[in-house]
Amino acid sequence: MASQPDSVLLDVQNLSRSFAGIHALNVVSFSVEPGRITSVIGPNGAGKSTLINVITGVYTPDSGGISFAGKNIAALPAHVVASKGIARTFQLEELFSSMTVIENAMTGCHGKSRSGMLACGFALPSARREEKRIHDEAMECLTMVGLEEKASEPISRLPLGERKLVGIARALCMKPSFLMLDEPAGGLAGHEVERLVGLIHSLLEQGLTILLVEHNMPFVMSLSEKIVVLDAGVKIAEGPPETVKNDERVIKAYLGQEL
Amino acid sequence: MKSKRPLPVLWILVIVGLAVLPFVTPGTYVIGVMCFVAFYATLACGMAVLLEQAGLFSLAAPTFFGLGAYVAGILAAREILPPWAGIIVAAVVVAAIAYVIGAPLLRLRGYYLACATFGLLFIVEIALAQSGEITGGHDGLIGIPPLSVFGFTLRGDLHYYFVSWGFCLGCLWFFFNLMSSRVGRAVRALHDSEIAASTVSINVARCKLHVFVLTAVMASVAGSLYCFYLQFTTPSMFGFPLLVELFTMIVIGGATTLYGPVLGAVVLIWLREAIHVYLKGILPKLTAEVDAVFFGVLIVAILIFMPEGLAGGLDRLAHFGRRLLGKSA
Repeated sequence: MASQPDSVLLDVQNLSRSFAGIHALNVVSFSVEPGRITSVIGPNGAGKSTLINVITGVYTPDSGGISFAGKNIAALPAHVVASKGIARTFQLEELFSSMTVIENAMTGCHGKSRSGMLACGFALPSARREEKRIHDEAMECLTMVGLEEKASEPISRLPLGERKLVGIARALCMKPSFLMLDEPAGGLAGHEVERLVGLIHSLLEQGLTILLVEHNMPFVMSLSEKIVVLDAGVKIAEGPPETVKNDERVIKAYLGQEL
Repeated sequence: MKSKRPLPVLWILVIVGLAVLPFVTPGTYVIGVMCFVAFYATLACGMAVLLEQAGLFSLAAPTFFGLGAYVAGILAAREILPPWAGIIVAAVVVAAIAYVIGAPLLRLRGYYLACATFGLLFIVEIALAQSGEITGGHDGLIGIPPLSVFGFTLRGDLHYYFVSWGFCLGCLWFFFNLMSSRVGRAVRALHDSEIAASTVSINVARCKLHVFVLTAVMASVAGSLYCFYLQFTTPSMFGFPLLVELFTMIVIGGATTLYGPVLGAVVLIWLREAIHVYLKGILPKLTAEVDAVFFGVLIVAILIFMPEGLAGGLDRLAHFGRRLLGKSA
């Protein structure tokens, strides 16, 4: 199934990227099927975040190809990759700290709005109408993650768990077809993780394709249909949770214990 | 939060206050000083937007101010174009210059951008001083006619008072609109996280360039108006001392709000006037020295007690007041 082009949304081929001689990614290949949730796991320094950064164009790959919906996106600038419908969150949030919750979400609408500097500065009716539309869309996304009541709070007043949700709302405002979540459950309390699982399920039901990078094992195992395991920049296993869980190399390299 | 519009009431109060001012003050002294306040306030406001909102450490405001003054001044003094057309041509020329030098310079970050634009400040000042045949050199450009539009000639402080403050408040209004719009959010996103900005489809390089060119054009128009007001310019008017002046205004007024630098300009220039009038009587020979020491102390005091400037202090006061009212109600 996975080899048929129309059933692959993201295809990563022999991707490599090194920093000062350290191979953060070493000839990594895998694919993501549309409408599914694929997870990338691995110990610290395995190259998980680098992988997301290379796919989104924050870093350029040294070699290898990335195709999204059949089109090559390797080495495109980040804002162009984003405009293709690829959204992401960050492990360390990377929210706009000087803005309110809703303003953060509204930046997500940037790519799908057009008003220019003069139209905005002179507050032309067209710009005002668009601003209202952006506001409504952002509010919808905040409602989806359950933060509609905190819309006008400054980011700094939110606890970690809610800040992570703001990051997801911002990504959802981009109306993406593919969403990458970089350790969304990191640092969250148990009930917050449950809420996140519910959110991810509802996003999948809406047809979104998700790539999940995560440390929290029960979280990954319960959600994923396919898991890719990285260790020191190399892919050491790929498959459904049951297979990966029992793979000797995975147990040795990453888990070091029974699951 | 930062770009929250002030109450319309506040706008009306300021506009009414400024409109009434010429008719309640004797002579032209107050109005003349207020013209300078308006020009500097416009510059400081644009510079603060770059520094605080966009996170671009650009020191090029005096340069574009000077170029706007010289281009419009030369065109008018040599009767190549009428003054009003000179303002437009100057704005276009400065926009083109800002675009061409901004594209490579804005790739620099933080202090490196400051260094590069600081160099630009000296290059332009020296170039203006050395090309005597065109610019009048060190002695300055003379023979600039007053501004005239459709047969109406602006003469005297009062006319320029209304034009300069009209432009200043217009720029402020523009910034208020801009900063609460999608473009403004993109600009503020640059300041907070360029990586996150680029992953929500914001073209970081283009966004920086656009806001840089915008403030350059505003500085240029302010400069053109300034040269028609004074009917005289010298290169040293657009050098390092002006930059220090603008920084002082921004620090005193506070850059976290858009109107802070305007407040800073009003306070700085009027304090200086007051000091000079007072000192002339008792220490006629030491005026400049005492002035420097006073403003040095003032900046340090503001940085310690009001790190967000007067405007930041006022904001906190207003917030506190609102909470008190809210509790009692």
